[in-house]
Amino acid sequence: MSYKQFEAIEKHAGLLGILTAVMVSIGGLAEITPLFMEAHAVKAPATVKPYDPVRLAGRDIYVREGCYLCHSQMIRALRAETQRYGHYSIAEESVYDRPFQWGSKRTGPDLARVGGKYSDLWHELHMTNPRQVVPESNMPGYPWLTKTKLDAADIQARMRGLRKLGDPYTDADIASVPGAVKDKTEMQALIAYLQGLGIKNEPVAAGTGASAPASDGGEP
Amino acid sequence: MSLFWSLWIMFLIVFNLGITLFLFLWAPRAKIPVQKDGTSGHVWAHGVLREGVRNLPRWWIVLSASMFIVGFIYLALFPGFGRAKGLLDWTSHNELAEHTAANNAKLGDEMTRFSLYPIEQLSQDKQALHLGEVLFRDNCAACHGRAGKGNQLVGAPDLTDNDWLYGGDGKAIFTSIHDGRAGVMPPWASLGEENVKNLAQYVLSLSGSPHNEQQAEAAKPLFATCAACHGPDGKGNQALGAPNLTDKIWLHGGNVADVEKSIHDGRQGQMPAWSPRLTDDQIRVLAAYVYHLSHQDHVD
Repeated sequence: MSYKQFEAIEKHAGLLGILTAVMVSIGGLAEITPLFMEAHAVKAPATVKPYDPVRLAGRDIYVREGCYLCHSQMIRALRAETQRYGHYSIAEESVYDRPFQWGSKRTGPDLARVGGKYSDLWHELHMTNPRQVVPESNMPGYPWLTKTKLDAADIQARMRGLRKLGDPYTDADIASVPGAVKDKTEMQALIAYLQGLGIKNEPVAAGTGASAPASDGGEP
Repeated sequence: MSLFWSLWIMFLIVFNLGITLFLFLWAPRAKIPVQKDGTSGHVWAHGVLREGVRNLPRWWIVLSASMFIVGFIYLALFPGFGRAKGLLDWTSHNELAEHTAANNAKLGDEMTRFSLYPIEQLSQDKQALHLGEVLFRDNCAACHGRAGKGNQLVGAPDLTDNDWLYGGDGKAIFTSIHDGRAGVMPPWASLGEENVKNLAQYVLSLSGSPHNEQQAEAAKPLFATCAACHGPDGKGNQALGAPNLTDKIWLHGGNVADVEKSIHDGRQGQMPAWSPRLTDDQIRVLAAYVYHLSHQDHVD
């Protein structure tokens, strides 16, 4: 290697840019590509079902309102997290989430296993104005969710789209939408979604020893 | 991970480290022609900026070389080089299992001691109360409030008084937490608006709250319907979770509008079951903390 090659790189911004891009992308090629190409190997366990129409609508409202900006849905394999939130999250639980809602930002608590933790009424009061139940909360209220009804045709279109991507919705499932969402508000859909999160999907076989909630105070 | 992708990762790692090592060894040997003014002759901005020629600082060379070596050590010990597991056989799940086991072992003696006491006695143990408080804030405070004062909007009872919907001994509290409770007050709109209003006045009269005597008197015979759950004297029934109406403690609010709404629309109280989330040992400690909340004068 002589000075000439270094000089060529230094003097030609285009060449410098290309070589920089090659070196920088090595990390991504090693870390992202294999997981991306092997994603098909992640299969839904029997306990994880595709979203029913109301919960699907709720999930899309969750995304629309940007809940993921403050709430993660991924419990990491750390003692403080498994004690507070339950079994750590596994990839199989999210096969029907497009896009997944794992997130990495927690202004509020993780919601991966919030289902059943509070009553429906609590969720409604909390979403309308969080200070009604948690005085110190800094979460915004979402009172308009009670005012909008679900649109069956819209949900059917979403289900057909998801079916193209491989979700096992049948024609009967799609035909059942108008009956299932009749007179349901966006608030009810979002609550149904939240109440279905987690605890039922909790992996049973996956190393319970590693994850059984410790019999202590759950202090983070 | 398939063999192909494993080799793919190994190749990229070797390629990346190889290029880095090559540049590290060869770049310092490149002979840079030095001009008379001590620069490389490269100029920018019409000669305002000129490139000096200096050797790399020694600290930079030592630091870079050691980082390079640390990289090798890391790949040898931990997973990262394709499918290789690393010499330590480390996984995040094993680490979690170890941390959890260590923590359980640390608490083991205390938890064994706690399990020997009845809940009522446990409620006077400072360490149990400390654990209970942490669990309470994490799990119960959202409805019952941090201080356990309850929330009438969500129908969460005040836990600091000594009025119990389902019983206030340790066992009853344990059951309430472990299995949850579903309180059902059916709606009585079918009685008609006027009867509902009168009945609300009668209910208020039971606890000696301000009420309209005439309306209350008119509704007295109607209370027979309510007596099935609340008892003929309105004192409630802990087997059903029917509140005592003769005290001034209100689950869903005690003003006229609240009571009318309770009768007209009914109420659905839901205490979730905590057995899927908490161990029995944790629930016992929590029950002791709740018992303590309503018997504060017994401790300290």
